[in-house]
Amino acid sequence: MIHIDQLSKSFNRKPALSDVSLTIPSGQIYGLLGPNGAGKTTLIRIMNQILKADQGIIQVDGKLLSANHWKDFGYLPEERGLYKSMNVNDTLVFLARLRGLTKYDAQASVRFWLEKFEISSWAKTKIEALSKGMAQKVQFIAAVVHQPNYLILDEPLSGFDPINVELILSELKSMRADGKTIILSTHNMKSVEEICDHVALLHKSKLIAEGKVHALREKALNGEFIVRFSGNMIALANALWTEFELIDTKEIGENRFQIVVRQRGERTFEELASNLMGKLKLEAIEKRLPSMQEVFLELIAKEEVKNEE
Amino acid sequence: MRNSFLIASREFMDRWTSKSYQLMLVVGPILILVFTYFLLKFGDQGKSSLRVLIADPTDLFGNKITSNPTRAVEYSFYTTYLDFEEFRDGNRFKEFDAFVEINEKILNNKTVKLFYRERPSMEVKIKLKFELERRVEEIMIDQFTDLSIDKYRQIKQPLNIDFLNVYDPKNQAENERGWVGLFFGAIILLFIGLFGMTILRSTSKDKSNRVVEVLLASVRSSELMLGKIIGIGLSAVFQLLVWAFFIIVGLLIFKEYIFTDIFDPSNYEGMQFATDVKNDILLNSSASRYNMFIELIYHRINYGVMLPVFFMFFAASYFFYASFFMTIGATAGSESDGQQFIIPIFLLLFLSFYAGFEAIYAPESFLAVFFAYFPFTAAMTTLINVSIGVTTSGIFQIIFSFLFLLFNAFVFLAIAARLFKNGILNSGHRLNWKTIFQWLKKQ
Repeated sequence: MIHIDQLSKSFNRKPALSDVSLTIPSGQIYGLLGPNGAGKTTLIRIMNQILKADQGIIQVDGKLLSANHWKDFGYLPEERGLYKSMNVNDTLVFLARLRGLTKYDAQASVRFWLEKFEISSWAKTKIEALSKGMAQKVQFIAAVVHQPNYLILDEPLSGFDPINVELILSELKSMRADGKTIILSTHNMKSVEEICDHVALLHKSKLIAEGKVHALREKALNGEFIVRFSGNMIALANALWTEFELIDTKEIGENRFQIVVRQRGERTFEELASNLMGKLKLEAIEKRLPSMQEVFLELIAKEEVKNEE
Repeated sequence: MRNSFLIASREFMDRWTSKSYQLMLVVGPILILVFTYFLLKFGDQGKSSLRVLIADPTDLFGNKITSNPTRAVEYSFYTTYLDFEEFRDGNRFKEFDAFVEINEKILNNKTVKLFYRERPSMEVKIKLKFELERRVEEIMIDQFTDLSIDKYRQIKQPLNIDFLNVYDPKNQAENERGWVGLFFGAIILLFIGLFGMTILRSTSKDKSNRVVEVLLASVRSSELMLGKIIGIGLSAVFQLLVWAFFIIVGLLIFKEYIFTDIFDPSNYEGMQFATDVKNDILLNSSASRYNMFIELIYHRINYGVMLPVFFMFFAASYFFYASFFMTIGATAGSESDGQQFIIPIFLLLFLSFYAGFEAIYAPESFLAVFFAYFPFTAAMTTLINVSIGVTTSGIFQIIFSFLFLLFNAFVFLAIAARLFKNGILNSGHRLNWKTIFQWLKKQ
């Protein structure tokens, strides 16, 4: 578990992090969200001991973060970088040894990962000869080659094609299943919904929300329902009357539709169901959970209003 | 420290696997040896094979030049009139490289003409002039004076003034030796310049290809900096040793098999005699200096002291200057940025040469003493002082100079580490003094 307590950092008197406190539970995938300039990279760099905080502390499993933790952390920076003139194998062995592995263990681990990602044939290829996607894979291996307990990934999916995105996501899930803690910063909200257990939202150097992904989405429920039915739209209009507002309509087959409706006033899910029943051939009604994108935008908007006030 | 070692190994291997480094490892000493070969060959040209015909129709010289001939010139006599066209075209004269026209006016105007087929070397010219002049002197003494030749030579000998230091009356500290120190100092400066730029480029490259962020997540910035400096320094030392090995082997081969005459002191006996009579031309000749340097390099430098001092100052100066190159590389906004900051460092490197001349020509001047302690010039000045000769007080001066240089190296490495830490993750800016001072103040 990583416990961050009242962390602050500023550059040239401009705050990059202001009094940020959060707890990252072990064995989970933790998303760090926020618009550009929110302070995510600064927080990540402090966790990686690249920068020092002006104030506050970080504890890892109850101990203050120190050089002893280097071997426990893996890091994939947003701006990827490897030695271009070195080959894949030597690069990975070198970086693994910097993280505390012996030469023998480093070589064995590199072999394991290259085989796992089916790129053993690249072992002697120079980094400069790799395509961007190939280099991204190598960079990902560089972050995990020493089997860290904590993996910090800054925009881990950028630069990958859909096949490799799936590969990386499945690898992250597998690492979580092995008890590893993964902290990722991303703008890809779809992947956040898919793999993150917890998220923290940073905005203008401050932490404005933190919690489980599902809880945040539940909290942001806005009285919208998804309805799938067979019938016609006139019957639907009669059924909804003025009590529900039609937001979106999509034809999904012959006389089959999927609509999104929003409740007005104090109307409930049960009232919607009873209104529609008998008038349409209902296939499904469900509450529509807002996407993380919507949650994100709504929280930012609320924060902006609060700041203006 | 383990990580510094890993980084140093990587930096060393990076240089080692670089084609340009491998090429310079071999081509560098070969170029120096080829250059030396031509230098020796040029200096050696015609020395032992020049055959001179003395055309002396009046038999003024009496078929004699010197009782102590040098090996450089072989004389033959021709007592019939000979003009240069006949000499040039006549088959029987083809074996001669030059002829000297002697006539009776020589005792009045002291002028002779020497016609050559191929321009003789300066060394041969001097020998010819020396030997002909002495023969003419002998004839004139015989014809115009009652003096013996020995007496005349004694009279002719100029006043010899020995300038001696009251603190060094035996003149143990000879300035000529200082040039060897200057040479060693120049090697240090050459390697610092070359590998300093390597440090700068390597740091800028790591910064621009963003690998530095990956590294800083596993090592301290000071470890990274030290590892890079040590790794690149080791590649410099390795190159220096390889060069030294090849050059020493090459010079030994030259000495034993190719230019055996040049290294033979008996070759210079005639010349040595010439210096005894203080022949100014000979004293200033390249041949004389050449002989002196062979003597200096092979016999009069105390390498037992010189080499350890060389390596001590090499290491300390390298770390000292490396801190500046590293700082520029880490704080520059791009690989091309920071040029303006390199110029002052190179000017300070060149200041060492001025300090070197000061140490040779005015070793006790205030400036020479100052330069011996000034960290930018300490290596050069101290090596010259060591090559000139070390007195007891000089040993303390060298130790203090070294410790002061070492202290400064640590101080500037600490400053560089702070600037490295604060500057290495910043890119795209334009480096200026204000930014440097801001990063210097930042913890």
